[in-house]
Amino acid sequence: MKIVDQVLNGDKRATAKLISMIEDDERGASEALAAIFPHTGRAHTVGFTGPPGVGKSSLINRLVREFRERGKRIGVVAVDPTSPFTGGAVLGDRIRMADTGTDPGVFIRSMATRGHSGGLALATFDAVKVLDAFGMDLVFVETVGAGQSEVEIASRAHTTVVVQQPQSGDSVQALKAGILEIGDIHVVNKADLGGADAMVSNLDFMLEERMGWRPPVLQTSALEGKGIKELADAIVKHYRYLKAGPMWRRREADRARKELYESMRRLLAETFSEDAAGETLEGEVAAIVSRKTDPRTAAKKLLRDLKLGR
Amino acid sequence: MAKKIRVLIAKPGLDGHDRGAKVVARALRDAGMEVIYTGLRQSPEDIVEAAIQEDVDAIGLSSLSGAHMALFPDVVKLLKKRGAGDIVVVGGGIIPDEDVAKLKRAGVRAVFGPGTPLAEIVEYFRSSGT
Ligand SMILES: Nc1nc2c(ncn2[C@@H]2O[C@H](COP(=O)(O)OP(=O)(O)OP(=O)(O)O)[C@@H](O)[C@H]2O)c(=O)[nH]1
Ligand SMILES: [Mg+2]
Repeated sequence: MKIVDQVLNGDKRATAKLISMIEDDERGASEALAAIFPHTGRAHTVGFTGPPGVGKSSLINRLVREFRERGKRIGVVAVDPTSPFTGGAVLGDRIRMADTGTDPGVFIRSMATRGHSGGLALATFDAVKVLDAFGMDLVFVETVGAGQSEVEIASRAHTTVVVQQPQSGDSVQALKAGILEIGDIHVVNKADLGGADAMVSNLDFMLEERMGWRPPVLQTSALEGKGIKELADAIVKHYRYLKAGPMWRRREADRARKELYESMRRLLAETFSEDAAGETLEGEVAAIVSRKTDPRTAAKKLLRDLKLGR
Repeated sequence: MAKKIRVLIAKPGLDGHDRGAKVVARALRDAGMEVIYTGLRQSPEDIVEAAIQEDVDAIGLSSLSGAHMALFPDVVKLLKKRGAGDIVVVGGGIIPDEDVAKLKRAGVRAVFGPGTPLAEIVEYFRSSGT
Protein backbone atom coordinates (compact mmCIF):
# COMPACT_ATOMS: atom_id res chain seq x y z
CA MET A 1 0.00 0.00 0.00
CA LYS A 2 1.19 3.46 -0.88
CA ILE A 3 0.49 5.03 2.49
CA VAL A 4 2.45 2.28 4.23
CA ASP A 5 5.48 2.82 1.99
CA GLN A 6 5.29 6.53 2.74
CA VAL A 7 5.26 5.88 6.48
CA LEU A 8 8.24 3.55 6.18
CA ASN A 9 10.03 6.25 4.18
CA GLY A 10 9.59 8.75 6.98
CA ASP A 11 6.72 10.82 5.56
CA LYS A 12 5.14 12.68 8.49
CA ARG A 13 1.93 13.63 6.74
CA ALA A 14 1.29 10.05 5.66
CA THR A 15 2.04 8.86 9.17
CA ALA A 16 -0.50 11.30 10.60
CA LYS A 17 -3.06 10.28 7.95
CA LEU A 18 -2.60 6.61 8.69
CA ILE A 19 -3.21 7.21 12.40
CA SER A 20 -6.47 9.02 11.50
CA MET A 21 -7.49 6.17 9.19
CA ILE A 22 -7.11 3.76 12.08
CA GLU A 23 -8.90 6.05 14.54
CA ASP A 24 -11.84 6.50 12.18
CA ASP A 25 -11.74 2.80 11.26
CA GLU A 26 -11.69 3.74 7.60
CA ARG A 27 -11.59 1.25 4.78
CA GLY A 28 -8.05 -0.06 4.34
CA ALA A 29 -7.03 0.58 7.95
CA SER A 30 -6.69 -3.06 8.93
CA GLU A 31 -4.81 -3.91 5.73
CA ALA A 32 -2.42 -1.03 6.41
CA LEU A 33 -1.90 -2.20 9.99
CA ALA A 34 -1.17 -5.69 8.74
CA ALA A 35 1.35 -4.28 6.28
CA ILE A 36 3.24 -2.23 8.88
CA PHE A 37 3.22 -4.94 11.51
CA PRO A 38 6.42 -6.68 10.31
CA HIS A 39 8.18 -3.32 10.67
CA THR A 40 7.23 -2.91 14.32
CA GLY A 41 8.56 -4.30 17.57
CA ARG A 42 11.65 -2.18 17.81
CA ALA A 43 10.47 0.90 19.70
CA HIS A 44 10.59 1.02 23.48
CA THR A 45 7.09 1.95 24.64
CA VAL A 46 6.88 3.94 27.85
CA GLY A 47 3.54 4.69 29.48
CA PHE A 48 3.01 7.66 31.80
CA THR A 49 0.12 7.65 34.19
CA GLY A 50 -0.93 9.65 37.22
CA PRO A 51 -3.65 12.01 38.40
CA PRO A 52 -4.66 15.03 36.30
CA GLY A 53 -2.27 17.94 36.53
CA VAL A 54 0.71 16.21 38.17
CA GLY A 55 2.93 17.20 35.26
CA LYS A 56 2.95 14.23 32.90
CA SER A 57 3.03 16.36 29.76
CA SER A 58 5.65 18.70 31.21
CA LEU A 59 7.84 15.72 32.13
CA ILE A 60 7.46 14.18 28.68
CA ASN A 61 8.41 17.52 27.16
CA ARG A 62 11.66 17.52 29.17
CA LEU A 63 12.36 13.85 28.49
CA VAL A 64 11.90 14.30 24.75
CA ARG A 65 14.62 16.92 24.77
CA GLU A 66 16.88 14.77 26.94
CA PHE A 67 16.53 11.76 24.65
CA ARG A 68 16.97 13.95 21.56
CA GLU A 69 20.30 15.03 22.98
CA ARG A 70 21.13 11.35 23.29
CA GLY A 71 20.38 10.95 19.59
CA LYS A 72 17.07 9.13 19.95
CA ARG A 73 13.94 9.72 17.88
CA ILE A 74 10.77 10.07 19.93
CA GLY A 75 7.08 9.58 19.32
CA VAL A 76 4.40 10.71 21.77
CA VAL A 77 0.75 9.71 21.93
CA ALA A 78 -1.13 11.85 24.45
CA VAL A 79 -4.62 10.67 25.34
CA ASP A 80 -7.38 12.88 26.77
CA PRO A 81 -11.00 11.99 27.49
CA THR A 82 -13.82 12.50 25.02
CA SER A 83 -16.88 14.23 26.43
CA PRO A 84 -19.55 11.54 26.81
CA PHE A 85 -22.24 14.12 26.13
CA THR A 86 -21.03 15.74 22.94
CA GLY A 87 -18.45 13.30 21.55
CA GLY A 88 -16.02 16.18 21.30
CA ALA A 89 -12.78 16.83 23.15
CA VAL A 90 -10.28 19.56 23.85
CA LEU A 91 -6.82 18.02 23.64
CA GLY A 92 -4.45 20.25 25.54
CA ASP A 93 -1.32 18.21 26.23
CA ARG A 94 0.56 19.92 23.40
CA ILE A 95 0.51 23.20 25.36
CA ARG A 96 3.12 21.71 27.71
CA MET A 97 5.05 20.02 24.93
CA ALA A 98 5.80 23.09 22.88
CA ASP A 99 9.58 22.94 23.23
CA THR A 100 10.14 20.44 20.47
CA GLY A 101 8.66 22.73 17.81
CA THR A 102 9.66 21.53 14.37
CA ASP A 103 12.29 18.96 15.37
CA PRO A 104 12.12 16.28 12.64
CA GLY A 105 13.00 13.57 15.15
CA VAL A 106 9.84 14.12 17.18
CA PHE A 107 6.23 13.24 16.41
CA ILE A 108 3.48 14.16 18.86
CA ARG A 109 -0.09 13.02 18.42
CA SER A 110 -3.03 14.00 20.61
CA MET A 111 -5.79 11.45 20.84
CA ALA A 112 -9.28 11.43 22.34
CA THR A 113 -10.59 8.31 24.07
CA ARG A 114 -13.75 8.26 21.89
CA GLY A 115 -15.75 6.36 24.44
CA HIS A 116 -13.17 3.67 25.12
CA SER A 117 -12.76 3.08 28.82
CA GLY A 118 -9.54 2.61 30.71
CA GLY A 119 -7.92 5.95 29.91
CA LEU A 120 -6.79 4.89 26.46
CA ALA A 121 -8.38 5.06 23.04
CA LEU A 122 -9.01 1.93 21.02
CA ALA A 123 -6.46 3.20 18.49
CA THR A 124 -3.75 4.24 20.98
CA PHE A 125 -1.50 1.24 20.58
CA ASP A 126 -2.11 1.03 16.86
CA ALA A 127 -0.80 4.60 16.71
CA VAL A 128 2.19 3.42 18.72
CA LYS A 129 2.79 0.76 16.06
CA VAL A 130 2.63 3.36 13.31
CA LEU A 131 5.21 5.52 15.11
CA ASP A 132 7.34 2.44 15.69
CA ALA A 133 7.26 1.63 11.97
CA PHE A 134 7.95 5.30 11.21
CA GLY A 135 11.28 4.75 12.95
CA MET A 136 10.90 6.09 16.47
CA ASP A 137 13.28 4.64 19.07
CA LEU A 138 10.98 5.46 21.95
CA VAL A 139 7.25 6.05 22.04
CA PHE A 140 5.78 7.76 25.10
CA VAL A 141 2.10 7.27 25.87
CA GLU A 142 0.40 9.73 28.20
CA THR A 143 -2.86 8.46 29.62
CA VAL A 144 -5.58 9.95 31.77
CA GLY A 145 -5.01 8.59 35.23
CA ALA A 146 -8.33 7.51 36.65
CA GLY A 147 -9.17 4.18 38.19
CA GLN A 148 -8.33 1.25 35.98
CA SER A 149 -6.49 3.20 33.31
CA GLU A 150 -3.22 2.64 35.15
CA VAL A 151 -3.65 -1.09 34.83
CA GLU A 152 -4.58 -0.82 31.17
CA ILE A 153 -1.44 1.11 30.25
CA ALA A 154 0.73 -1.18 32.36
CA SER A 155 -0.43 -4.25 30.49
CA ARG A 156 0.54 -2.69 27.18
CA ALA A 157 3.64 -0.57 27.63
CA HIS A 158 7.10 -2.03 28.12
CA THR A 159 7.80 0.40 30.92
CA THR A 160 5.24 2.18 33.09
CA VAL A 161 6.10 5.43 34.83
CA VAL A 162 3.72 6.41 37.62
CA VAL A 163 3.81 10.15 38.27
CA GLN A 164 2.60 11.72 41.50
CA GLN A 165 3.15 14.93 43.35
CA PRO A 166 3.95 15.67 46.99
CA GLN A 167 0.91 15.24 49.17
CA SER A 168 0.26 16.80 52.50
CA GLY A 169 -0.82 14.70 55.48
CA ASP A 170 -0.51 10.96 55.58
CA SER A 171 0.58 10.36 52.04
CA VAL A 172 0.92 6.62 52.48
CA GLN A 173 -2.80 6.30 53.00
CA ALA A 174 -3.50 8.63 50.13
CA LEU A 175 -1.77 6.34 47.67
CA LYS A 176 -4.30 4.75 45.44
CA ALA A 177 -4.45 1.00 45.72
CA GLY A 178 -2.91 -0.75 42.77
CA ILE A 179 -0.65 2.11 41.79
CA LEU A 180 2.34 0.54 43.53
CA GLU A 181 2.08 -2.72 41.63
CA ILE A 182 2.00 -1.28 38.16
CA GLY A 183 4.85 1.22 38.30
CA ASP A 184 8.22 0.14 36.94
CA ILE A 185 9.43 3.61 37.82
CA HIS A 186 7.85 5.98 40.33
CA VAL A 187 8.22 9.73 40.04
CA VAL A 188 7.39 12.41 42.55
CA ASN A 189 7.17 15.50 40.36
CA LYS A 190 6.85 19.15 41.48
CA ALA A 191 9.67 18.57 43.94
CA ASP A 192 10.19 22.34 43.84
CA LEU A 193 7.00 22.72 45.88
CA GLY A 194 8.54 20.93 48.87
CA GLY A 195 7.41 17.82 50.69
CA ALA A 196 8.85 15.50 48.07
CA ASP A 197 11.38 13.85 50.40
CA ALA A 198 8.70 12.43 52.70
CA MET A 199 6.67 11.24 49.76
CA VAL A 200 9.68 9.53 48.21
CA SER A 201 10.62 7.69 51.38
CA ASN A 202 7.03 6.61 51.95
CA LEU A 203 6.84 5.19 48.46
CA ASP A 204 10.27 3.67 48.70
CA PHE A 205 9.33 1.93 51.94
CA MET A 206 6.36 0.24 50.30
CA LEU A 207 8.05 -0.99 47.15
CA GLU A 208 9.71 -4.33 46.77
CA GLU A 209 11.76 -6.11 44.20
CA ARG A 210 9.83 -8.39 41.90
CA MET A 211 11.24 -10.55 39.16
CA GLY A 212 14.65 -8.98 39.46
CA TRP A 213 13.54 -5.35 39.24
CA ARG A 214 13.31 -2.94 42.14
CA PRO A 215 11.16 0.04 41.01
CA PRO A 216 13.14 3.21 41.71
CA VAL A 217 11.49 6.29 43.20
CA LEU A 218 12.75 9.54 41.71
CA GLN A 219 12.19 13.20 42.42
CA THR A 220 11.73 15.59 39.53
CA SER A 221 10.80 19.15 38.82
CA ALA A 222 9.60 19.42 35.26
CA LEU A 223 9.32 23.14 35.90
CA GLU A 224 12.99 23.60 36.76
CA GLY A 225 14.28 20.70 34.69
CA LYS A 226 15.62 18.83 37.72
CA GLY A 227 15.92 15.05 37.93
CA ILE A 228 15.26 14.62 34.22
CA LYS A 229 18.59 12.95 33.39
CA GLU A 230 18.08 10.52 36.27
CA LEU A 231 14.58 9.69 35.00
CA ALA A 232 15.89 9.13 31.48
CA ASP A 233 18.63 6.90 32.91
CA ALA A 234 16.04 4.88 34.83
CA ILE A 235 13.99 4.39 31.67
CA VAL A 236 17.07 3.15 29.81
CA LYS A 237 18.00 0.91 32.72
CA HIS A 238 14.55 -0.69 32.72
CA TYR A 239 14.83 -1.28 28.98
CA ARG A 240 18.16 -3.05 29.50
CA TYR A 241 16.65 -5.12 32.30
CA LEU A 242 13.76 -6.18 30.04
CA LYS A 243 16.07 -7.02 27.17
CA ALA A 244 18.63 -8.90 29.27
CA GLY A 245 16.14 -11.43 30.63
CA PRO A 246 12.87 -13.05 29.59
CA MET A 247 10.76 -10.00 30.44
CA TRP A 248 10.74 -8.22 27.08
CA ARG A 249 9.34 -11.29 25.37
CA ARG A 250 6.92 -11.89 28.18
CA ARG A 251 5.53 -8.35 27.95
CA GLU A 252 5.29 -8.64 24.20
CA ALA A 253 3.37 -11.89 24.61
CA ASP A 254 1.03 -10.30 27.17
CA ARG A 255 0.29 -7.55 24.73
CA ALA A 256 -0.13 -9.89 21.78
CA ARG A 257 -2.56 -12.01 23.79
CA LYS A 258 -4.59 -8.93 24.72
CA GLU A 259 -4.67 -7.68 21.16
CA LEU A 260 -5.64 -11.09 19.85
CA TYR A 261 -8.60 -11.33 22.23
CA GLU A 262 -9.57 -7.77 21.40
CA SER A 263 -9.47 -8.46 17.67
CA MET A 264 -11.57 -11.56 18.10
CA ARG A 265 -14.12 -9.64 20.12
CA ARG A 266 -14.25 -6.93 17.47
CA LEU A 267 -14.57 -9.39 14.64
CA LEU A 268 -17.45 -11.09 16.42
CA ALA A 269 -19.21 -7.83 17.09
CA GLU A 270 -18.75 -6.73 13.48
CA THR A 271 -19.96 -10.03 12.12
CA PHE A 272 -23.12 -9.98 14.18
CA SER A 273 -23.84 -6.35 13.44
CA GLU A 274 -24.03 -7.15 9.74
CA ASP A 275 -27.59 -7.68 8.53
CA ALA A 276 -27.72 -11.35 7.72
CA ALA A 277 -25.90 -12.40 10.83
CA GLY A 278 -28.01 -9.98 12.85
CA GLU A 279 -31.06 -12.07 12.02
CA THR A 280 -29.38 -15.19 13.32
CA LEU A 281 -28.48 -13.35 16.47
CA GLU A 282 -32.01 -12.02 16.94
CA GLY A 283 -33.35 -15.53 16.40
CA GLU A 284 -31.28 -16.75 19.33
CA VAL A 285 -32.27 -13.70 21.39
CA ALA A 286 -35.95 -14.57 20.88
CA ALA A 287 -35.27 -18.22 21.72
CA ILE A 288 -33.59 -17.19 24.98
CA VAL A 289 -36.43 -14.86 25.94
CA SER A 290 -39.00 -17.62 25.40
CA ARG A 291 -36.77 -20.01 27.37
CA LYS A 292 -36.28 -22.36 24.42
CA THR A 293 -32.56 -22.10 24.98
CA ASP A 294 -30.15 -20.42 27.38
CA PRO A 295 -27.48 -17.79 26.63
CA ARG A 296 -24.51 -20.15 26.97
CA THR A 297 -25.96 -22.86 24.76
CA ALA A 298 -27.00 -20.27 22.19
CA ALA A 299 -23.54 -18.73 22.23
CA LYS A 300 -21.90 -22.10 21.62
CA LYS A 301 -24.27 -22.79 18.75
CA LEU A 302 -23.61 -19.39 17.17
CA LEU A 303 -19.85 -19.83 17.43
CA ARG A 304 -20.05 -23.32 15.98
CA ASP A 305 -22.06 -22.12 12.97
CA LEU A 306 -20.06 -18.97 12.55
CA LYS A 307 -18.86 -17.90 9.13
CA LEU A 308 -16.65 -14.92 9.73
CA GLY A 309 -16.87 -12.33 7.00
CA ARG A 310 -14.10 -10.06 5.77
CA MET B 1 -16.78 4.92 13.41
CA ALA B 2 -17.59 8.12 11.58
CA LYS B 3 -14.86 10.49 10.60
CA LYS B 4 -14.21 13.03 13.34
CA ILE B 5 -13.54 16.63 12.51
CA ARG B 6 -10.23 17.70 14.02
CA VAL B 7 -9.32 21.35 14.43
CA LEU B 8 -6.15 23.02 15.65
CA ILE B 9 -6.64 26.26 17.55
CA ALA B 10 -3.52 28.35 17.87
CA LYS B 11 -2.60 31.77 19.01
CA PRO B 12 0.42 33.06 17.14
CA GLY B 13 2.08 36.33 18.00
CA LEU B 14 3.11 37.87 21.24
CA ASP B 15 -0.02 39.14 22.94
CA GLY B 16 -1.06 37.00 25.85
CA HIS B 17 -4.82 36.85 25.63
CA ASP B 18 -6.34 33.58 24.59
CA ARG B 19 -9.81 33.93 26.05
CA GLY B 20 -11.44 34.19 22.62
CA ALA B 21 -9.48 31.20 21.34
CA LYS B 22 -10.57 29.13 24.32
CA VAL B 23 -14.23 30.07 23.90
CA VAL B 24 -14.09 28.90 20.28
CA ALA B 25 -12.24 25.71 21.28
CA ARG B 26 -14.95 24.81 23.77
CA ALA B 27 -17.74 25.60 21.33
CA LEU B 28 -16.18 23.27 18.76
CA ARG B 29 -15.80 20.56 21.38
CA ASP B 30 -19.46 20.97 22.34
CA ALA B 31 -20.32 20.51 18.67
CA GLY B 32 -18.58 17.12 18.77
CA MET B 33 -15.22 18.05 17.25
CA GLU B 34 -11.75 17.20 18.51
CA VAL B 35 -9.86 20.40 19.21
CA ILE B 36 -6.11 20.44 19.59
CA TYR B 37 -5.22 23.46 21.61
CA THR B 38 -1.58 24.53 21.37
CA GLY B 39 -1.49 27.60 23.56
CA LEU B 40 0.18 30.95 23.18
CA ARG B 41 3.08 32.38 21.21
CA GLN B 42 3.44 29.72 18.57
CA SER B 43 5.43 30.46 15.44
CA PRO B 44 3.86 29.71 12.04
CA GLU B 45 6.39 26.87 11.65
CA ASP B 46 5.30 25.30 14.96
CA ILE B 47 1.64 25.64 14.05
CA VAL B 48 2.06 23.97 10.67
CA GLU B 49 4.16 21.16 12.12
CA ALA B 50 1.52 20.51 14.79
CA ALA B 51 -1.30 20.64 12.22
CA ILE B 52 0.44 18.01 10.11
CA GLN B 53 1.18 15.67 13.00
CA GLU B 54 -2.37 16.01 14.30
CA ASP B 55 -3.88 15.58 10.82
CA VAL B 56 -6.40 18.36 11.33
CA ASP B 57 -9.03 19.43 8.83
CA ALA B 58 -8.73 23.07 9.75
CA ILE B 59 -6.64 25.56 11.70
CA GLY B 60 -8.18 28.43 13.63
CA LEU B 61 -5.78 31.31 14.23
CA SER B 62 -6.51 34.02 16.71
CA SER B 63 -4.75 37.34 16.94
CA LEU B 64 -5.43 40.55 18.79
CA SER B 65 -2.08 42.22 18.36
CA GLY B 66 -2.07 43.22 14.73
CA ALA B 67 0.45 40.51 13.94
CA HIS B 68 -2.11 38.72 11.79
CA MET B 69 -0.98 40.32 8.53
CA ALA B 70 2.40 38.68 8.81
CA LEU B 71 1.53 35.49 10.61
CA PHE B 72 -1.70 34.21 9.03
CA PRO B 73 -0.42 34.24 5.41
CA ASP B 74 2.80 32.60 6.60
CA VAL B 75 0.81 29.67 7.93
CA VAL B 76 -0.99 29.31 4.58
CA LYS B 77 2.31 29.47 2.68
CA LEU B 78 4.05 26.94 4.89
CA LEU B 79 1.15 24.52 4.64
CA LYS B 80 1.37 24.64 0.84
CA LYS B 81 5.11 24.08 1.02
CA ARG B 82 4.57 20.98 3.14
CA GLY B 83 1.97 19.60 0.71
CA ALA B 84 -0.83 20.32 3.15
CA GLY B 85 -2.61 23.10 1.28
CA ASP B 86 -5.90 21.27 1.76
CA ILE B 87 -5.98 22.20 5.44
CA VAL B 88 -8.40 25.11 5.80
CA VAL B 89 -7.04 28.20 7.57
CA VAL B 90 -9.48 30.46 9.40
CA GLY B 91 -8.67 33.67 11.25
CA GLY B 92 -10.30 35.38 14.17
CA GLY B 93 -9.74 38.35 16.42
CA ILE B 94 -9.65 42.09 16.05
CA ILE B 95 -8.90 42.52 12.37
CA PRO B 96 -9.68 45.72 10.42
CA ASP B 97 -11.91 45.36 7.34
CA GLU B 98 -9.20 46.35 4.88
CA ASP B 99 -7.02 43.54 6.22
CA VAL B 100 -9.77 40.96 5.85
CA ALA B 101 -9.75 41.26 2.06
CA LYS B 102 -5.96 41.01 1.97
CA LEU B 103 -5.96 37.94 4.20
CA LYS B 104 -8.53 36.23 2.02
CA ARG B 105 -6.44 36.94 -1.04
CA ALA B 106 -3.52 35.37 0.80
CA GLY B 107 -5.50 32.17 1.22
CA VAL B 108 -7.13 32.60 4.63
CA ARG B 109 -10.56 31.16 3.91
CA ALA B 110 -12.63 33.07 6.43
CA VAL B 111 -12.12 35.77 9.03
CA PHE B 112 -14.36 36.12 12.06
CA GLY B 113 -14.51 39.39 14.00
CA PRO B 114 -15.24 39.70 17.72
CA GLY B 115 -19.03 39.92 17.32
CA THR B 116 -19.46 36.77 15.21
CA PRO B 117 -22.04 34.35 16.66
CA LEU B 118 -20.36 31.14 17.85
CA ALA B 119 -22.89 29.06 15.93
CA GLU B 120 -21.67 30.62 12.69
CA ILE B 121 -18.05 29.78 13.50
CA VAL B 122 -18.95 26.23 14.50
CA GLU B 123 -20.90 25.74 11.28
CA TYR B 124 -17.97 26.98 9.22
CA PHE B 125 -15.57 24.50 10.81
CA ARG B 126 -18.09 21.71 10.41
CA SER B 127 -18.37 22.33 6.69
CA SER B 128 -14.57 22.52 6.37
CA GLY B 129 -14.27 18.98 7.69
CA THR B 130 -16.49 17.37 5.10
N1 LIG C 1 5.64 23.75 40.46
C1 LIG C 1 5.63 22.87 39.47
N2 LIG C 1 4.64 22.88 38.58
C2 LIG C 1 4.66 21.96 37.58
C3 LIG C 1 5.70 21.01 37.46
N3 LIG C 1 5.43 20.23 36.39
C4 LIG C 1 4.28 20.69 35.86
N4 LIG C 1 3.82 21.73 36.57
C5 LIG C 1 2.59 22.52 36.31
O1 LIG C 1 1.47 21.71 36.57
C6 LIG C 1 0.42 22.00 35.65
C7 LIG C 1 -0.01 20.74 34.92
O2 LIG C 1 1.08 20.27 34.16
P1 LIG C 1 0.88 19.22 32.98
O3 LIG C 1 2.22 18.86 32.47
O4 LIG C 1 -0.11 19.73 32.02
O5 LIG C 1 0.24 18.01 33.79
P2 LIG C 1 -0.45 16.68 33.23
O6 LIG C 1 -0.25 15.63 34.25
O7 LIG C 1 0.01 16.40 31.86
O8 LIG C 1 -1.97 17.15 33.21
P3 LIG C 1 -3.20 16.44 32.47
O9 LIG C 1 -2.76 16.05 31.09
O10 LIG C 1 -4.26 17.49 32.47
O11 LIG C 1 -3.57 15.26 33.32
C8 LIG C 1 0.97 23.06 34.71
O12 LIG C 1 0.53 24.31 35.15
C9 LIG C 1 2.47 22.94 34.86
O13 LIG C 1 3.15 24.13 34.61
C10 LIG C 1 6.76 21.05 38.42
O14 LIG C 1 7.72 20.27 38.40
N5 LIG C 1 6.67 21.98 39.40
MG1 LIG D 1 -1.10 16.24 30.06
